[in-house]
Amino acid sequence: MLDIGIIEYENVFSRYDVKAESAVSPEELFEELAPEEEPWKSMAEDVVFLNPDGVESKVKEALEDYDPQEVINNGLIGGMDVVSELYGRGIYFLPQLVIAGDAMSNGITLCEEKLAESGEERETPGKVVMHVAEGDPHDIGKDIAAAMLKAAGYEVIDMGRDVAVEDVVDMVKEESPDLLTGTALMTTTQTAFPRVAKRLAEEGIELPFIGAGGAVNSAYVHSFDCGIYADDAADGPAIADAITQKGMTWQDLREEYDDIVPSAV
Amino acid sequence: MSKYTSMAYDDPDDMIFGEAPNPVTYGYGGIEAGGGQVFPILKCAPRPGKEERPEKLKSEYRKIARTTLDRATTLGFPAIEIETEWVHQMGNNPEKFAAGPSVANQDELAEKYHEEYGIKTSTCHTPPDLREAEKGMRPGHDRESFYPEKVLASFEVAAENGADILKIESTGGMEVADYAIQRQDITAFLWGIGYLGSLDMEWLWGNVVDIADRHDVVAGGDTNCPAANTAMFMAGGYLDQDIPRTFAAITRAIAAARTIVAWEQGASGPDKDCGYEGPIVKAIAGKPTNQEGKDCSVAHADLMGNLTAQVCDGWSNESAEFHEEFSGWSSGTWAEAVGYEASLMNTAKELGMAKELRDMYMASDRYRSPEAYILAYDNAYKIGEAIAEEGDSYYLRSKNAALTAAEMIEEAEESEPLELTKHEKDALDDILTELRALPDDEDKFVDQMLDEYSDLPKFDKEDYEL
Repeated sequence: MLDIGIIEYENVFSRYDVKAESAVSPEELFEELAPEEEPWKSMAEDVVFLNPDGVESKVKEALEDYDPQEVINNGLIGGMDVVSELYGRGIYFLPQLVIAGDAMSNGITLCEEKLAESGEERETPGKVVMHVAEGDPHDIGKDIAAAMLKAAGYEVIDMGRDVAVEDVVDMVKEESPDLLTGTALMTTTQTAFPRVAKRLAEEGIELPFIGAGGAVNSAYVHSFDCGIYADDAADGPAIADAITQKGMTWQDLREEYDDIVPSAV
Repeated sequence: MSKYTSMAYDDPDDMIFGEAPNPVTYGYGGIEAGGGQVFPILKCAPRPGKEERPEKLKSEYRKIARTTLDRATTLGFPAIEIETEWVHQMGNNPEKFAAGPSVANQDELAEKYHEEYGIKTSTCHTPPDLREAEKGMRPGHDRESFYPEKVLASFEVAAENGADILKIESTGGMEVADYAIQRQDITAFLWGIGYLGSLDMEWLWGNVVDIADRHDVVAGGDTNCPAANTAMFMAGGYLDQDIPRTFAAITRAIAAARTIVAWEQGASGPDKDCGYEGPIVKAIAGKPTNQEGKDCSVAHADLMGNLTAQVCDGWSNESAEFHEEFSGWSSGTWAEAVGYEASLMNTAKELGMAKELRDMYMASDRYRSPEAYILAYDNAYKIGEAIAEEGDSYYLRSKNAALTAAEMIEEAEESEPLELTKHEKDALDDILTELRALPDDEDKFVDQMLDEYSDLPKFDKEDYEL
């Protein structure tokens, strides 16, 4: 082997990630952002520091004294907000987001069961139907996008992979979601997206339809009505918020795309 | 079939691009993979909408082949391979969408250009692994889509209609690996890919080799693209934060212990270009490996664009969408890029400077990421040794590969210019702790895993005959 010990590697490449590493610890950020009152602080702490058993027991305890919706908003979402901030600052990575999201979802299920006893339903910012295009088995991208939307509090109906166009249309008719998403890895499976959009139009349904995935690009997704391109799973909550909080249509989203979608700029 | 328990090379320094102890010859004029020269490989995906009808697909694949062969001939390349990664519609109905539209069609052009100009040509076919774990992974399990049957039928169709070499990116164990990657769970990855993936490969490649033998075509090899490449892409570059690059590096070592099963089942190589574990399996088996790197920037970014050329036998562009560029069709532009890179390697060999070029490729990226570091040919060789040392057990060899890679990274962070972020270091510490706590007995491991992961929604132990 050549003597590679003489190479000055700073002339070959730079580890910008090492240079830009955050000096803030998760513990410090938790103290800064977590809910101050108990039992919410302890519950949020278990969400942030990935203790699913702790979340479950604290939710059960809290449900004896508090309204389930309060438990969700103050404790579970409160913790997840810190996790999202840690992720946004590059301190947490995706697995922490997913594991915390699992713990939060289990807690929410307990709260929903309690709500159901009194005939109530959970208040969410909105509902999203997600699927992987017909003929496409690649679903990890959809799973990650689902984790991000759940972390933001959205109700997610996950139809899985290789979903037939008609099944997507039927689900949208049945659930009336705020947003539909489709993912595809291949150029020749993304062609299911315009077919879904066409069938929805025939049924008189118009809603924003995110198209995303490996070989998918904005030119293609924006070539059919309702299509909104997302380059990154983290774009999902921002697009969903624009729809549910600002009442934006798919035309509005396209018009203000660069201002709304994080990966666009 | 016997498993590898020794190395094909005595010394990693003997590993070089364009040469393998067990070369393979196929195609028009005889492309000799590993026989002395590196050959270029071009892959293009049809444009959206071309899959609607067989006639449209046939026209698209004919254009892809013709424009590739034109550019290679125009530039005087000695050889070119056209690989087709089948789209879903071809795998779902191979007789109608693949036999004529792609396989026979491209074979005819490959022969024509060889006869007219003498250029060595070959066609490689990679049917899609349509199988979905929730429906069933073996024939008879999926009563809804019959995907396992269709996968085997695809190989039959490819072999009957003119393919020179058969490959696949098989997906056994993915239902567990997806869970593992998203949760940074190295034990689950070891279970999904190292063990379940290997069992699936044993079944699948036994069948592929049988089909290839019956039709006198070459059974090439596999790749762990669906899992280890997913981890690599998610780990990404210096601005990405989906998963730590140390985790992705260890998944690569595990992937090698699984990808080599195709060769243990009788496949002869070269394996799939996107199998970044290629240097490890080549070190063990001495069969040729295809690789991709800087010329696949059209498909994705990775932190080892030069390094992957170090010991390749075929050099590929991974995949580009077929469309027009300033200089013509994308097939031609990427054929030119991979062809000139192969020319550079072959010129270095003619000048007796192949090892110098190999080391320059390797040194350029050796410390760019932990995954690049473990794939540098000297380190890949050590991981190969770890696999061969425990070669008889899918579990133990996967675990040994993972542990060797993790310890190698830990040591290099201390003694070589390999930098890690705090997050990467923390992840590496967790991985080492987890791996060291695993049992030394395969049966015990299997019982433990069946207990711990049996409730994953898509997993069915019947798919692996457990």
